[in-house]
Amino acid sequence: MQLRKRSMIAVVLVLSLSLMICASAFAADKVIKIGALFPLTGPAAVSGQNCVNSVLAAADVINMKNPEINAPLAAQEGLLNGYKIEIVKADHQGKPDVAKSEAERLYNQEKVFAIIGCYNSSATKPASAVAERAKKIFMCGCSSSAALTERGYKYFFRHAPTDAIESDEFVEYVEYLNKEKKAGIKTLGLIYENTEFGKHAAEEAQRAAKKAGLKIVANVPFNNGATNLNSEVQTLKAANPDAVFGAALGGDYSLWVRTMKQVNWLPKIAINYCTGYQNPAVQKELAADGDYFMGGMGYSPALAKEFMPEAVKIEKKYYTPRSNQAFDSDSIQEAVMLLVLAQAIEKAGAVDTEKVAAILRTESFPSALSLSGSVKFNPDGQNANALSVITQIKNLDYNTVFPLKYKKADPVFPMTPWDKR
Amino acid sequence: MVTAMFKNKADKLWYGFLAVAVILPFVPGVIGGSFFGHVATMILLYAAMAQSWNIISGYCGQTSFGHSVFFGIGAYGAALAVVNFNSLPWYGAPLGMLAAAVVSVIISYPCFKLKGHYFAIATFAIVEIFNRLFMIWDRVGGALGLDYPILPDGWKNFSWSETKNGYYLGALAIFVLVFSVVRWIEKNRMGYYLKAVRSGQETAESLGVNSTFVKLSAMALSASLAALCGAFFAQYNYRVDPPMVMSLDMSMKFVLITILGGLGTFWGPLLGALVLIPLQEYTRAYLSHLGAGVDLIIFGLIIIIVMIKQPLGIMGIIRYFTKRKTAKIEGDA
Repeated sequence: MQLRKRSMIAVVLVLSLSLMICASAFAADKVIKIGALFPLTGPAAVSGQNCVNSVLAAADVINMKNPEINAPLAAQEGLLNGYKIEIVKADHQGKPDVAKSEAERLYNQEKVFAIIGCYNSSATKPASAVAERAKKIFMCGCSSSAALTERGYKYFFRHAPTDAIESDEFVEYVEYLNKEKKAGIKTLGLIYENTEFGKHAAEEAQRAAKKAGLKIVANVPFNNGATNLNSEVQTLKAANPDAVFGAALGGDYSLWVRTMKQVNWLPKIAINYCTGYQNPAVQKELAADGDYFMGGMGYSPALAKEFMPEAVKIEKKYYTPRSNQAFDSDSIQEAVMLLVLAQAIEKAGAVDTEKVAAILRTESFPSALSLSGSVKFNPDGQNANALSVITQIKNLDYNTVFPLKYKKADPVFPMTPWDKR
Repeated sequence: MVTAMFKNKADKLWYGFLAVAVILPFVPGVIGGSFFGHVATMILLYAAMAQSWNIISGYCGQTSFGHSVFFGIGAYGAALAVVNFNSLPWYGAPLGMLAAAVVSVIISYPCFKLKGHYFAIATFAIVEIFNRLFMIWDRVGGALGLDYPILPDGWKNFSWSETKNGYYLGALAIFVLVFSVVRWIEKNRMGYYLKAVRSGQETAESLGVNSTFVKLSAMALSASLAALCGAFFAQYNYRVDPPMVMSLDMSMKFVLITILGGLGTFWGPLLGALVLIPLQEYTRAYLSHLGAGVDLIIFGLIIIIVMIKQPLGIMGIIRYFTKRKTAKIEGDA
């Protein structure tokens, strides 16, 4: 009796397994697999998880009928008359060698059509090199190292403004403050993580500052994942620059801000690249200590309310239930890349790398999740319409202060000292 | 001649393993562009790395946590030749090996005056020093590292994009070289000197062994072989930067694989790599999508269980079962 029972269970299990395999085989015919390669563990895990959730939200917009969302492919179900997007998640742990081997696995084993990633510029570099060698498409949302689009790659496309674009904008804002507000900002300090991203950001900041005649009085790199930034902040304090440009991701950003409070020093203004500044979770942790800092952003709830109403709908329906927070400036760009890729596939009329890449290289795409409203790639793969505004945070609200077209509030300038808060 | 070659069980195992390893890339679909091909290549590479560490730390008893420095020097040797000098990695790799050997002797000479834990602690510090140095040294790319340009596939550039057969065979060649060196050491006077120093430096010296020379030569040999592995690593990943190669994380890989397999044994590094690398690669590939580092938790738990159950590593487990079997046969007789 026991034996019969066990045999029955075994038969049922084998049958269910076979059915599952058959079902997936049938489903595979109408599925376009896309790899989502991000740091799901390690120091940038929180940002990586946000990026994955953002890509999943974009996949839901494409795969489901969303008549209430006014965005390309939202009203219909799937693309190419019934194809669905399937996201294959992968973790590169913030390590370039892991990113490279995971990119190979995604293309060769998982047979993904394209990869979206990788958040860390240092991981995006080798992973996109795998794509280029294999002549496969690589969509990069928020990695900002300018070097990524200076390699002459044909299958690499990036949405985010580069450090070069942001540096020019930061310096332009400083010049505006000097001219209009008599700010008297003459010296600049740089603090950045000693990585591909931070080093490039610092190099671009130096170039832009030189052009504007700003004198760099402190150039302070630090190792990411640091447990103490006291000596770095003391170096800044000793040089006492009028303005500071910062490039510190996640936990490093909050450590930097807290250390400035500890040593009781602030510059007149502090502007951040694509960093922990943009992450609402980091700002929540910093609470009032994070106030009056500034940063370049392509998205904020306030901006979305006024300029990107469809993004708010997508956020509410598909992103916040997953992430328990609003989109952030980094993660939203990964969603944009999936939506743009899907439009290109739809326009190509086939899941064909060469045809889709040709369309990506030549056409312009409406983008409900981009501040500029559209995406158009230059021959080097850089988004020509990449747009970033400067915001200042207060009470966890990101208020746009520059450019004037998007300005929503007057900046608190100079930053309120720690003892007067 | 052939019977002399296979004179004992260990020889049979060694040549049997090599025969299977050599055949693999010629079986269609086994290596090629597959994920298994990547895992197999990494097993051979990490086994060779661990074996190079085993020379100084296992056989000679000088625990070094600084081997990622030599590994990194080798990686930078190959990468600098390709990226900065538009040359071939074949020139950079031997130069890297030579540089690593020289650096290892310069570093080790004062450090060998320290004994036991103090030597190990000093090697920890050396990793940090070199990591920081390379981070700020712009000639070698600083924190940005060195990125390979896209080069034509083939042995000349030691670069392949569609198949891993070339990488696999390259890793196999390094594996054979490193393991053969250790086989030679084991069977020669050098091996006895190393083991004598490990067992008791003063005793060895009293018997006429020049312990400083023995330790320095073992370190130079170990470092140059680690550097060769580093050169391969840079070629395989098309990139090198300090956190990738000169880090405590990388140093720990040398240590962990050897200890898991069996410290101071010929087969230990291979057994450690055979268990650890597939575990690391497959758990990451198939469990990392669950998020929250489930793969890393499982990976860590398995290592803890093995080390608690058998501190002598996998070789300890094998010896335990072999002894039991022998005892049973003798009992039956």
